[in-house]
Amino acid sequence: MKLVLDQYAYLDSPLHRWQQDYKLVGLLSLIFAFAFIQNLWLLPVMITITWILFSLSEIPISFLIKRLRYPGWFILAVVIFLPFLSGNTPIFQWGHLIIRQEGCWDALLISVRFFCILTVSLILFSTAPFLSSIKAMRSLGLSQVIVDMTLLSYRYLEELGEMLTTMQRAMKLRGFQPKRLSRRNLEVFAQLTGSMLVRSYERSLRIYQAMILRGYGCQVNSKKNYWKLEINRSNLGSLLATLTAIATAISLIVMQVFLPSF
Amino acid sequence: MHIPDGFLPPHICLAGYGITGGVSWYCLRQINRDRHVQANIPKASLLTAAFFVASLIHIPVPPTSIHLILNGMMGAVLGYYAFPAILIGLFFQAVMFQHGGMSTLGVNAIILGSPSIAAYHLFRQRDRFRSNQQLFTKILAFGAGAGSLLLSAGMFAVLLITNISPDIDVNTERTAILLSLGSYGIQAAIEGVFTLMLISFLEKVKPELLKS
Repeated sequence: MKLVLDQYAYLDSPLHRWQQDYKLVGLLSLIFAFAFIQNLWLLPVMITITWILFSLSEIPISFLIKRLRYPGWFILAVVIFLPFLSGNTPIFQWGHLIIRQEGCWDALLISVRFFCILTVSLILFSTAPFLSSIKAMRSLGLSQVIVDMTLLSYRYLEELGEMLTTMQRAMKLRGFQPKRLSRRNLEVFAQLTGSMLVRSYERSLRIYQAMILRGYGCQVNSKKNYWKLEINRSNLGSLLATLTAIATAISLIVMQVFLPSF
Repeated sequence: MHIPDGFLPPHICLAGYGITGGVSWYCLRQINRDRHVQANIPKASLLTAAFFVASLIHIPVPPTSIHLILNGMMGAVLGYYAFPAILIGLFFQAVMFQHGGMSTLGVNAIILGSPSIAAYHLFRQRDRFRSNQQLFTKILAFGAGAGSLLLSAGMFAVLLITNISPDIDVNTERTAILLSLGSYGIQAAIEGVFTLMLISFLEKVKPELLKS
């Protein structure tokens, strides 16, 4: 299991220079504004904003396509039924098969919303190292327990993935090739999962010992670095970008409320 | 069983975040009452990562294969840590694999996380039975695994199908919900048996894992 999250985190684009805590506030506002959109007139606006952000991020388009591939299939499997099931106005009929206008619009709205939100999320977490994102969330008030759990889980995710691959390879070498669902096969899978849990548990005990030896839990400086709105030369650009993103998000919501529906 | 971005109306997404905030606060309050909270964090974290990786194991069910959700099992092993663990797992899946999404993170956490807390309370009932404890452990393990998946599937199907489009006929919605619950019922049975086997394995090999 390879986590390619930080693959493009060290480029030098305007989106990469936008401080992660400010970026989190700005782009999350945009994501929620996109989720608000129900009016088809606003879809081109949403696509334009997403395209501008993606162009500014300098992330290769191949990376986006690769990331969209799997969830894209799921979306396709769901929205493909909407034109046949949703609405009352038929636009095409072939025997019992009727394609309805409202269903087509719903499918379009959901697909565009999904594509735009997913791209903005990808930009948000791919234009900074993952650890910076966690630190930004901590500064925005995320609980210390959740922060510690996230950091530790992230640290060992790849190693446990490797462990699972090794164990599965060993099983295969010993002749385990499950082709059907049977009690024996399920039991072997349960033992594989159980072995992984036991190994992780035993490892966690050693990790905890190592952590307390390095001072885990000792509050040397108990002052917490919560996010504060400060205006200085270093964060002026980030602040302006965040304010622009929030203003865009509010404008989209206002347009959604006041624009006549499609 | 993740609802992707763009499928739900904003008020449901916001309500999902609100309820997730409340449940997380309650779980964290219970966690902070623990005398060994500092020692339990590495355990819960490593087990979170292990469950995340274990959910990638594919079980062959010809002509296809399924992957397990394991939220009931997480509840049984992690207790109140299960809810933040699922929240973290969903966050990783949204960020790393684009399963689920940032706008629906709260809703997905409720769908998968709240049944895990119910599973924890159900599985804890085994301490009440002094005689025949092994048999009751097996029954409760099956109930925790299958029940939590059915609960999650019910919430997922109802939320997705009733909110995906306002123009879908009520009868079509009802049929779609029943159909999806039927297929999830089979998976719930598999997950229940798997949880039973996994709990039996852990009881033999590392019983302290079920008590910690």
